Amino acid sequence: MTYRADVLIIGAGASGGVAARHLAEHGFDVVCLEQGDWPDRSSFPGTRPDWELAIRRDWAMSPNVRNRPEDYPVVHDDSDIEPLMYNAVGGSMIIYAGTWPRMLPSDLRVRTLDGVADDWPIAYRDLVPYYNAIDRQIGVSGLAGDPAYPPHDDYPLPPLPLGVAGRRVAEGHNRLGWHWWPEPNAILSAPYDGRRPCVQRGVCTSGCAEGAKASTDLTHWPQATAAGARLITGARVSQITIGPRGLATGATWLDHAGVEHHQEADVVILAANAVGTARLLLLSADDRFCPDGLANSSGLVGRRLMMHPFSVVTGWWDDQVEGWQGHFGASITTYQFYETDADREFVRGAKWALSPVGGPLNHILPMRAGNEVWGPDHHVLMGQTFGRGASWAIFGEDLPEKYNRVELDPDRTDSHGIPAPRVTYRISDHSRRLMAFQEERATESLKASGCRETAVASMIPYSGWHLMGTARMGDNPAISVVNSRQQAHDVANLYIADASVFVTSSGVNPTCTITALALRTADLLVQNRSEQKVPA
Amino acid sequence: MTTADNSTVIDVDRLEQLADIMLPTAHGMPSASEVGAVNSYLDEVLGWRDDLRQPLFEALSALDPATFTVERLSAFLAEDENAYTALTTVVAACYYLSPVVRDRIGYPGQVAKTYDPFAYTEWVAEGLLDPVVERGPIWREAPE
Ligand SMILES: Cc1cc2nc3c(=O)[nH]c(=O)nc-3n(C[C@H](O)[C@H](O)[C@H](O)COP(=O)(O)OP(=O)(O)OC[C@H]3O[C@@H](n4cnc5c(N)ncnc54)[C@H](O)[C@@H]3O)c2cc1C
Ligand code: SF4
Repeated sequence: MTYRADVLIIGAGASGGVAARHLAEHGFDVVCLEQGDWPDRSSFPGTRPDWELAIRRDWAMSPNVRNRPEDYPVVHDDSDIEPLMYNAVGGSMIIYAGTWPRMLPSDLRVRTLDGVADDWPIAYRDLVPYYNAIDRQIGVSGLAGDPAYPPHDDYPLPPLPLGVAGRRVAEGHNRLGWHWWPEPNAILSAPYDGRRPCVQRGVCTSGCAEGAKASTDLTHWPQATAAGARLITGARVSQITIGPRGLATGATWLDHAGVEHHQEADVVILAANAVGTARLLLLSADDRFCPDGLANSSGLVGRRLMMHPFSVVTGWWDDQVEGWQGHFGASITTYQFYETDADREFVRGAKWALSPVGGPLNHILPMRAGNEVWGPDHHVLMGQTFGRGASWAIFGEDLPEKYNRVELDPDRTDSHGIPAPRVTYRISDHSRRLMAFQEERATESLKASGCRETAVASMIPYSGWHLMGTARMGDNPAISVVNSRQQAHDVANLYIADASVFVTSSGVNPTCTITALALRTADLLVQNRSEQKVPA
Repeated sequence: MTTADNSTVIDVDRLEQLADIMLPTAHGMPSASEVGAVNSYLDEVLGWRDDLRQPLFEALSALDPATFTVERLSAFLAEDENAYTALTTVVAACYYLSPVVRDRIGYPGQVAKTYDPFAYTEWVAEGLLDPVVERGPIWREAPE
């Protein structure tokens, strides 16, 4: 007899982990299929001498560069930004920076307030209880009272150190009369929940060996499995299966050896990120019900991909600030230029996050701002920059465009022969105006903070860390893929827990909101369990 | 010489000559050969990054130390980006692994630090955030 779970979750990353824990703790029989494996913290490269070489290949943020069997290639020849991710239990959180801001009330109402894109079918108020709950599960370090936000619960842990650079830029902003605040980070400043605090090693985006940076392999999967959830690793889903009534019946998956299996379930939750989820919906086209892709009667599956155009402005002081050290979330943030200002040539804005600059190779062969210099001047440049800098990382709100999309590539496949996703994405003229303005202001910020030199790396291509929008939420099935509970309009027992459902991108890092939404979706599923339609 | 197979024998002397032009003795810093960068660390670097061996070999075949200059290196980027990247990565990695060089630039590596998580109360008490708080809320009200 085949075994049928109450809920099948596809993807054990940020959203999958949060949903699994909540459902398992509320008595649901949960199975999760994850193509990657459990991360082995002893293999993380941050404490090794080859760290800066490893992050350029085996520990690259791009699945195409890492090219591990569990990665799938993302074709991006026709994209201004390269999508970045990590495939394992914990998902992209294994290599994320850990910056943990909430969205703002205006982020969910851009049509009403600014006449662009669309409003969300939910409001900021709907998210607040879930933000508060998720902050406690994750262990967020921060300081309450930021006047850029409506008042909310205090964070469970004190803010991480400002560092020398953070303090200088804070003082610079005080001189300018500009907003700044210690950044909330999903990184422990003190022991919490059996986990160790951050040691400021500054290698967060190649995995935190200390376990101080939250990822669901630490914060959710142990609890989920203790509550009975079953997590199958090395399980690559090729298709969601549909029964005669048009409901999802489970998923077909392949193991490491390429052997095909099927997992049955009453409810299927997609949590494979906005590229992986769109890919799976398109792979699950079924001539009987959905020839253009599962849950795609609106034609919007894969469309409206948003990735946050990203610029870096780096400033260098005359003296050492140990610019290679410190958590690679952010020390401080500013929302000075976040909300719409009618005097500007664009609407909406950007959030900035102040980060370290990395080790020597990152100075010589910069992945962010700076130039390569060889010969005698190399030593001058290193003397003037190494350890003396900090970077404003600028995330601009990315408005959704139908032409920015994920499709299936006709030629490329993953290691199992399943078609790879192809991403087409253009940074709009609107985004270019928005980013140019922010880059100028960030340069002023660093000059006012005493930096002698500044450099701008404008809209860098290797920056697709925030993947959003490919199966948007909405009340109208003609122009959205899921409803406000993140349930597919077309398939009543299919839910999407990841950022595919984002209606707009906001200008903040998304994972705090992704996980709050995943918790909300799971919670509403628990509350409405008696009404849930399931296959016969 | 360091060898993976016969087709990609890396000529260490040749690499060191190029490295010395890229990283010469200047401005109080030692050259690549003075700290034995290539001789001491090439095997280690290529052990970590075997993918760089072939393009490094190609860079060494294309660039003649007798006529090599920094300008020639810049031009080489447009000719063969892979080989250029391998050469610059390997030379820089070898040089900055040297303890002498790390000491001169003040880089101890990515090290663990301890700190007092409640030290923030000092800068809060000192009033660093006061101007931000005194200006009041800056978020925008939105209709439900
Ligand atoms: C370098 C980097 C830095 C970042 N920094 C930040 C930051 O500071 N703050 C922030 O908020 N966000 C950050 N992010 C983004 C953050 O990591 C993501 O928003 C978040 O992890 C997305 O969660 P998710 O659940 O949607 O997907 P993921 O966490 O990506 O998880 C998806 C999981 O699904 C699995 N999967 C996909 N397809 C299949 C399939 N067919 N079969 C089986 N399994 C499958 C994958 O293997 C993966 O484990 C960063 C991302 C990167 C790459
Ligand atoms: S700086 Fe902190 S969060 Fe980042 S890797 Fe080190 S210990 Fe982990």
